[in-house]
This record gives sequence, structure tokens and C-alpha cells, in this order.
Amino acid sequence: MNFLSLPFLCFFPVTALLYFLLPRRLKNGWLLLASWFFYLCAQPVYLSLLLFVILTSYGAGLALERRRSKGMLALFLVGAIILLFLFKYVNFALSLAAQALNGLGIAWQAPALTLVLPVGLSFYLFQAMGYVLDVWRGKVRAQRSFLIHALFLSFFPQVVSGPIGRADELVPQFLRPNPFDYDRFRRGLIRFLWGAFLKVVLADRLAVLVNTVFGAPESYGSVQLIGAAVAFAFQIYCDFSAYTHMALGVADSMGFTLRENFRMPYFARSVAEFWRRWHMSLTSWFRDYLYIPLGGSRRGTARKYLNILIVFTLSGLWHGSALTFVVWGLLNGLYQVVGQMTAPLRDRCWARTGLQPDGALRRGVQTVITFLLIAVTWVFFKASSMSNAWAVLSGMCRGPAWVGLSMGLDRWELLIAAGGLLLLLLVDLLSRKRDLTADYLELPRPVRWCVLWVLLFGCLVFGSYGAGYDPQDFLYGFSF
Amino acid sequence: MRKKRKELLLALVLLLLTGWMVNFISDVFRPAQTTYGATWRAFRGEPEDSLDVICLGSSFAYCDFNPSLIYDASGLTGYVMAGGEQPLSITYWYLKEIFRTQSPSAVVLEGTSLYFKQYQNYTQQNVSQMPFSVNKLGAIFTASEPELRSGLLFDLSLYHSRWRELGWNDLKKAVRPAERDYYKGYTPIDQVLDGVGESVVEGGRTVSEEDYAANLAWLDKILSLCRAHDAQPIITFNPSYTRCTREQYDRNTADILALDDGVLVYNWTDSFEEIGLTPTMHLYDGSHLNQDGAAIFSAWLGRYLTGEVGLTPRPQTEENAAAWAESVLWWQNYLKD
Repeated sequence: MNFLSLPFLCFFPVTALLYFLLPRRLKNGWLLLASWFFYLCAQPVYLSLLLFVILTSYGAGLALERRRSKGMLALFLVGAIILLFLFKYVNFALSLAAQALNGLGIAWQAPALTLVLPVGLSFYLFQAMGYVLDVWRGKVRAQRSFLIHALFLSFFPQVVSGPIGRADELVPQFLRPNPFDYDRFRRGLIRFLWGAFLKVVLADRLAVLVNTVFGAPESYGSVQLIGAAVAFAFQIYCDFSAYTHMALGVADSMGFTLRENFRMPYFARSVAEFWRRWHMSLTSWFRDYLYIPLGGSRRGTARKYLNILIVFTLSGLWHGSALTFVVWGLLNGLYQVVGQMTAPLRDRCWARTGLQPDGALRRGVQTVITFLLIAVTWVFFKASSMSNAWAVLSGMCRGPAWVGLSMGLDRWELLIAAGGLLLLLLVDLLSRKRDLTADYLELPRPVRWCVLWVLLFGCLVFGSYGAGYDPQDFLYGFSF
Repeated sequence: MRKKRKELLLALVLLLLTGWMVNFISDVFRPAQTTYGATWRAFRGEPEDSLDVICLGSSFAYCDFNPSLIYDASGLTGYVMAGGEQPLSITYWYLKEIFRTQSPSAVVLEGTSLYFKQYQNYTQQNVSQMPFSVNKLGAIFTASEPELRSGLLFDLSLYHSRWRELGWNDLKKAVRPAERDYYKGYTPIDQVLDGVGESVVEGGRTVSEEDYAANLAWLDKILSLCRAHDAQPIITFNPSYTRCTREQYDRNTADILALDDGVLVYNWTDSFEEIGLTPTMHLYDGSHLNQDGAAIFSAWLGRYLTGEVGLTPRPQTEENAAAWAESVLWWQNYLKD
């Protein structure tokens, strides 16, 4: 069940209404049933896998609290990794093995196993692993209530695409009284609507251009290829942040606060800062449960750089089982390593220009450079293969600047996309210093209603849905 | 408590206003349908209880029956409320909706739709143009493909991509009340395709037993509806060079009469000479009549309905009679040109 589907628009009001009407002792049970129903609608066959992860992490948590056993922890983590490998990476591993064997002169055709990736596996498995590690570290107490633990891993706004939650933040919210809060309800709904706007008006519109150009990069000029790469940078931001806005909005309207996932990432002044602002729940997961245990920056500079590369390569693999994702992750890691290595040199260069460290010009130049570096990495993320990525990147540097071939969007569609991006820029700029959803509630009622109608009718009229459009799945959606 | 009640009331106002705006925008975006069936807007412009005859069916109805010329020959007012490839299931809901505002003395149903499958090609157009009502919901949930239902319930999703081509006329259409037109559901085709009318194609129309049984079941409901509203049901097979076999028509007639022996069933598929039609001049594509053929057939039908069937025109207001006379004149000039 997609957030932007008719079934969800029926499911959510019923779920929320009953949740607030039911007596407190029944609320969590209802929420769990609703969450499992939500998951069942996405993929019934893999509910059993979610249940298995809930059961094993519940048992592991209790066992680790009773006895702090490294063996037990390793057993759970290895089991989880095997599960992830089996469903997500086995075909990729087999194809790599086949390539290696063929390279050695041994002819072997890798069998293509038809395993469907369970919806949200990468998200809820990481959340479960985080919980078990937190129990082992003594950061949180093992959850005794199976219902609460199951709800922690199945909570419907986040089970499919995150944000990856933490037990110490989410579990207490299930335990406290949670009466209906009209302001939160309205705040959540307007956030949901903003997410819907980003998805159907911007992300899916940009997707048409991106898919057209990336589908035949050799047919387009360098400016068009650069444009498509930049468009994809915005597409993926709009797409994933849209999902996050909707998930957080739905949760907020029911009185729950989920982790923020984005904080104006394209305003970052360095790649490292970008990663502190992009998919924050995943980045912080890798930081807390991988980078720091690997030694972080405590074991010398070389080891720190190696740790960064390991973390980002694995992050790339987490995003997808293909070489393009590995390269994408590695490139992001390399940027940071090179960035740290050249920091003193760059600082000296900046000092010679006489520009203030926090001056607008210096900030602007750094922001643009960071954006361009990130846009290059997105080419690998989007490309269907390494050769496709190479065709896009090499096409940016040679050939004609422009080819008179349609890029999939006419000028009216481009105008809507440009207008939407300007609005996004404005909202991002304003939200640097303000809580816009809280501000929204302070607006005079007619203005509030107008804002709501602009967003709603923006979606209904200009959105990519229904006849004549090809709505896209969420990029971080059902294939994770 | 008072503040809460006020907030609740305002939330309700917001919801109602939003719903009204969605409905209005849907009206703006829904393309105007003036020909090729499903012309509900112009139908709603006809004065209540002013129509003597309602013609139903598929393209065979909207290409062959010209209500203005039926009126000219007989004084019977009528309207063609048909749809492209319209199955009898949708026709049933059409008729229910028609009976909300009209009380015709006869319902003429072109019978080729007995050979249609459960779902044909134009469900979206035929159903989305219906005014929102319980009958439209009935058509959506019982006569439309399941995958089209959500779109038909919220038809802005079917037409919102028209935002680039919207003009003042779309806005005017949504703001102004429905207006009648000269077409009255009829679609003129000014053409004879090459080779048409030289030889009859027979027996090419088939239907599965399952679909045929389902069609008869819907027809039964249509006939019951006619009886409940005191409308004489008439089923016709219009002049055509693309025909079923004699055995097929005989079976259809027997099956229809088995449902209701008061139905008048007319097979005019090979009555070209009797009606005054010349196949090489008056057929468009072998199946449908062109505008000259429809003019001859409609005049003949008008005379037949008053002379043979015994229908009598109902009294009309002066204004309505003038409007029909104007429509007749318009068609006479159109056909002369």
C-alpha cells in the first residue's frame, strides 16, 4: 500500500480515528494490527519474515540483557546479515562470481534466482540490529512487551522505507498516553501534503526527463546530459524527502515523532556535511553501529580513512546490489577522504582570497562545488550499469552541446518543474531557521486554507498520476 | 468546549469547500462531449418531461437516429442517449438516470449491443460523462472494468493532464447551466467509404454464450424499467450491410420476446428499399448510416412510430416547440450545405 494510493487514503483515516477512539490499553494492539495489515497489502508472503525478525530480535534482546554474550550478539547479527544477503545480494554475488570465473577462463553461467526482495527488509532489519546492539551496549533495556517490540519494528509509517528508528526514541512514545492533539493532527497532514506535492509534481515529473536521457545518453548533447544529472539530483531528493515528509506527517498526526531524515542537504558546504544532512537516520546508523565500532577516528588517520571507505562502500551496497551502487558509495567515501586530506591546503587557498570563512560568497562557492560533486555520484546511482554511467559521464565532456531531440518534457512541463523547484528552494531556505509546520499553524485561517488548497490542487492538477502519466515507484520504496 | 465546537465546524466547512472545489475543477477539466455518444450535458439542457422518445444503444444509435428529423416527420421529440460500443449494462444505468428527468412514451434500443462483451472500449467516456448520481455509482461498480473504477469515481485523475490545453470554453462550460443543442445526441458523418454498400457481410458478429446470457439479463432489467415507467420498449436492428445471420436475428427476437412479449422488435437490417435508402450512397462504413442516410431513416422512423406504433407527440410549451423548429431548420440547412 503506497502512501499515495486510494487504499491508503481510506486506510489512514480509519486507523487514526479508531486509534484515538479506542481505550488506551487497546491502542497499541490496534496500531500493530493496522501496521501488519498495511504491510500485508504491500506483500503478504513476507509478513512471515517480518514476524521472524521481530521474534528473533525480541528473543535476542531479552537473552542479551540476561547475559551479555558476544556469541549471542554475533549469532543474531550474522543471522540478520545472512537474511539480507540471501534476499538482496545473492544474485549480485553469483554474477560477480561468474564474471571472476569467466575471467579465469572457467565458463560458468550464474543462475538467476527469482527471489522477491521483501518490502522494507533493509530498513526493519537495520532497525532490529540497532535495537539488539543498543541492548547489548546497555543503552536501552530489552523490551519485555512483545506487542511494543513488534510495533517498534512494524509501525506502518516507517516499516517500508524508514526512517530507521531507535528504540530509546520510539518505544517510550508507545507507552505514554497519546490523546488526540488537533494541532499535531493538522501539522502532520500539511506535512503529508507537502510530501505528496514533492512526489507527484516534482519527483515524478523530473523522472520523465531523467529516464529519457539516461535511457539513451549517446543521443543527447553534453548540456542535456549535465541537465539530466542535475535533474536526477533533485528528483531523488524530492522523491525520498517526499516519502519522509509523508511518513513523518502521518506519524505526527497520530502523535508520534519519527527521526528526521533530511536537513536541506543541498545547502551543505562539503560532502561530509552533505552526509550529515542526507538520509540522516541511515548515516547515523552507520556512524553508531559500524564506523565507531570500527574505531572511528580514534585509531589514527589511515585507519580513519579506511573506516570511512568501508562505511560508504557498505552504504552503497545497502542502497542496491549492483556495481554502480558500490562505486557510488566508494566515490562518496573517497570525496570525504580527499576532502579531509586536502583541507589544510584548501584553507590556505581560501585564506589568500581574503574571503571570510562564513561569508556568503565562500559559502555559495562551497555549496555549488559540493552539489556538483554529489551530482556526479548520483549518475552511478541512477545508471542501469557501469557502461551506462560511463556513457553519461563521458557524454558530458564531449560531443555536441545540444541535440534537437525531445527530453521527454515539453516547455509547459519544464515550467511547472522549475516553478516547483523554486518553491522547494524557498521552503528549504525558510526552514533553515524556522519550523515551518509550526509557523503554518500560526497563520491566519484564510491564509492557512489557501496554502492547503495551493498544495492540494497543485497535486491534483499538475501531479503525475492517473491517465496520461506514468507514476513512478518511490526510489527508496519497495526495492529496499 | 465552545472553541472545540467552532474548530470542528470550521474543519467541516473546509472539507465541504474543498469537496466543492474538487468537483468544480473536475467539471472544468472533463472534456466537452457533444457528439459520439455520452452527450449528457446537452441532455440535461432539455426541459423536464419534454421528450417522447429516448433512443439508446451504441454508435448504431447515435449515427442512425437524428431526433430533430424524427421530430420534423412526426412531431415526436426525442434524444439519443447512446455511447460508443456501449454494453447493455451501462445502457441500463443510462436509462435509470434518464427516467429521473424524463418520462418518454417509448424507448428505442438499437439491439446490436446484445453482441457486445461485458466490457468494450469506451467505458471511461460513457460513464465519466454521466452526471454524479446513484446511477453513475451503479454504472461504475456494476458495469465498468474494475481497474477503471477509482478513476471513474474521481475523474479528475482521468482528465487532469488537460491543464495545458484548457481554454475559456472549459471554464464557461463548468460555470454555465447545461444548454440543449441541435445534435440531441446524434453524430453526423458526411462520408461514404470506398466500396461500401456493394456486398453484404453476414455472420461476422459473434458473442460468447456467457456474455449473451449476461446481456439478456441486463436487457431484462431495461425492459422492466421501461414497464415500470410506462414506456413502450422497442428494439431495432438498423439498416446495415454488416449483419448477423437470419438465424441469429431469429434467436435474438425469440429471446427478447421470452423476456417480455410486449416488446416491439424490428429487424430493418435489409429494409433499405422499403425505407428509401441506397446502400452505396447512404452507408458510411457498411455498418453505420451517414448523415444523408440517417436523415432518410429518421424521417421514416418518425412516421413509423406515429403511424405503425401509434405514438402521439405530447404537448410542448411554445418555447420548446420553437426550439425544436429551430433545430429542424438548422439540420435542413446543414444537410443542404
